[in-house]
Amino acid sequence: MKLIKGEIISNKKIGEDLFKMTVFSPYIVKNSMPGQFVNIKCSSGNTIDPFLRRPFSIHDAEPDFKVFSILYVLKGIGTDYLSKLNAGDILDFAGPLGNGIDTTQSENKNFLLIGGGIGVAPLYFLAKKLVSEEKNIFFAAGFKNNNFLLFEKNLQILKISYEIYSEDGTYGKRGKVTDLFNEGTEDFKNYEVVCCGPIGMYKALQNVFTLNNMKAKALFEEIMACGIGVCKGCAMKFKNSDGTFEYRTVCKDGPVFDLMEATID
Amino acid sequence: MPKGLSVKLGSLELKNPIVTCSGTFSSGIEYNDLYDVSLLGAITTKSFSLEERLGNKPPRLCETPAGLLNSIGLQNEGIDFFINEHLPVVKKFGFTVILSILGDSVSEFIELAVKIRKIEDDIAAVELNLSCPNIKKGGLALGSDPEEVEKAAAAVRKILNIPVIVKLSPNNNNLSELALRAKNGGAEAVSLINTVIGMAIDINTFKPKLGNVTGGLSGPAIKPIAVAKIYNLHKENILPIIGMGGVFDYKDAIELMIAGASAVGIGTVNFIEYDAGKNIIDGLISYMGSSNIKNISEIIGSVKAG
Repeated sequence: MKLIKGEIISNKKIGEDLFKMTVFSPYIVKNSMPGQFVNIKCSSGNTIDPFLRRPFSIHDAEPDFKVFSILYVLKGIGTDYLSKLNAGDILDFAGPLGNGIDTTQSENKNFLLIGGGIGVAPLYFLAKKLVSEEKNIFFAAGFKNNNFLLFEKNLQILKISYEIYSEDGTYGKRGKVTDLFNEGTEDFKNYEVVCCGPIGMYKALQNVFTLNNMKAKALFEEIMACGIGVCKGCAMKFKNSDGTFEYRTVCKDGPVFDLMEATID
Repeated sequence: MPKGLSVKLGSLELKNPIVTCSGTFSSGIEYNDLYDVSLLGAITTKSFSLEERLGNKPPRLCETPAGLLNSIGLQNEGIDFFINEHLPVVKKFGFTVILSILGDSVSEFIELAVKIRKIEDDIAAVELNLSCPNIKKGGLALGSDPEEVEKAAAAVRKILNIPVIVKLSPNNNNLSELALRAKNGGAEAVSLINTVIGMAIDINTFKPKLGNVTGGLSGPAIKPIAVAKIYNLHKENILPIIGMGGVFDYKDAIELMIAGASAVGIGTVNFIEYDAGKNIIDGLISYMGSSNIKNISEIIGSVKAG
């Protein structure tokens, strides 16, 4: 992990309140793995509003150009600040942080990636890596509407199989991404599953996977202070195999966890 | 490091006045990737208890204007973990270590001290965390009771040969009495201030934003409170003060020293400006040069008030 000041190469609006920012950083490109994140200072100079840095998952890393990118949705004062930055401005960030997904450790050739909303951001980085390892991928993405239309281009370039769902029916199939399992889970019995999305999606997936005795990795988010494991602020409750529970930090113990061990209220 | 930066708090000598606040720096190992942490006057570790503590129910954090509310609940792996896992690393890196310890009773502090006796050559001082606002049993209650403070300090002092520091909470109105009793117990310094009790509520759900309902407020929002508490306690001339509360840059550190702090703790800033420790020390050196100050200790309590 390093504290870096990197130049913004582009910061484009790609949907309603949806942005993609690309930043020059040979260090991040060289050292990051899918699932890892950067902790970005979202205030200028010596101002302290907003007070805390904001964590964003790495959406893409392009070794040829030594740039990485993040996707972000306008939500509050932090993302509002980011949306006003321009190419040539300097971004203050730390990274790469958290544990990545080391796909080289997996003997499985088949991967099912399930993304909900902005959760597709880190899964694209993962898909790209899996493609380079010649793995077989099915990418399922669910959105509220057609706001993520431009995201689809990424999947087409990777030449992977995918299915898109939208709740209002304006994009792909009408429905939720969990509809993927309406006909059962048989098709994905031998797939390694990685998902990233909102809590509601995780609850639904836990139900499906419990019934079908499946496992999955999931990427979680939580309000963070330090982002490096020292403050223990971003704790989530997890079940241990012996029935006890413990709090694990999303920033350092995660953000990748066993979905079935997470307790979601 | 310039000689004029060193400060003395009782028998505790620090090469410069900048220390970290407990709970904001772990044992400093993560930060050593970013700068040479051994440059700091000292690191104060996360508070360690006899047994592992799971901590409070999430959410544990809430950002506020110029501040951070937290209710971590002193999650830690227990003192044995520090001794076995962290200590060998911090020794290798050459950190000056103030070990923060946490107990619910005087007898727990005695048990902790017995364990620390075996490693006391490797640490510079112990800080007794008697004032965390996020713990229902013990914690604040123990730290609010002058008699218990004196007993805890005395018990640890009797077992250990290194300086004892007592951390005090601004949520008490009897700070000078607590400091006096800490001194009677053999403490050589006090840390002041711990976080200020605060609360935030979500106006849509009507629910508190912290799982623990209330929490401790830190960050620049509480700096004026710290300055006032340090100023008032320093006037009493009871014990040297490690001043802390909302320090963000070297100017804040100097302000706390002028108010009466002999050393300055940096806490929440470590979450945002990861290399704050180094930058603040650099700032102090420049300030001394430009203000023609030979020894930083000259400014301790030098406020011109009335």
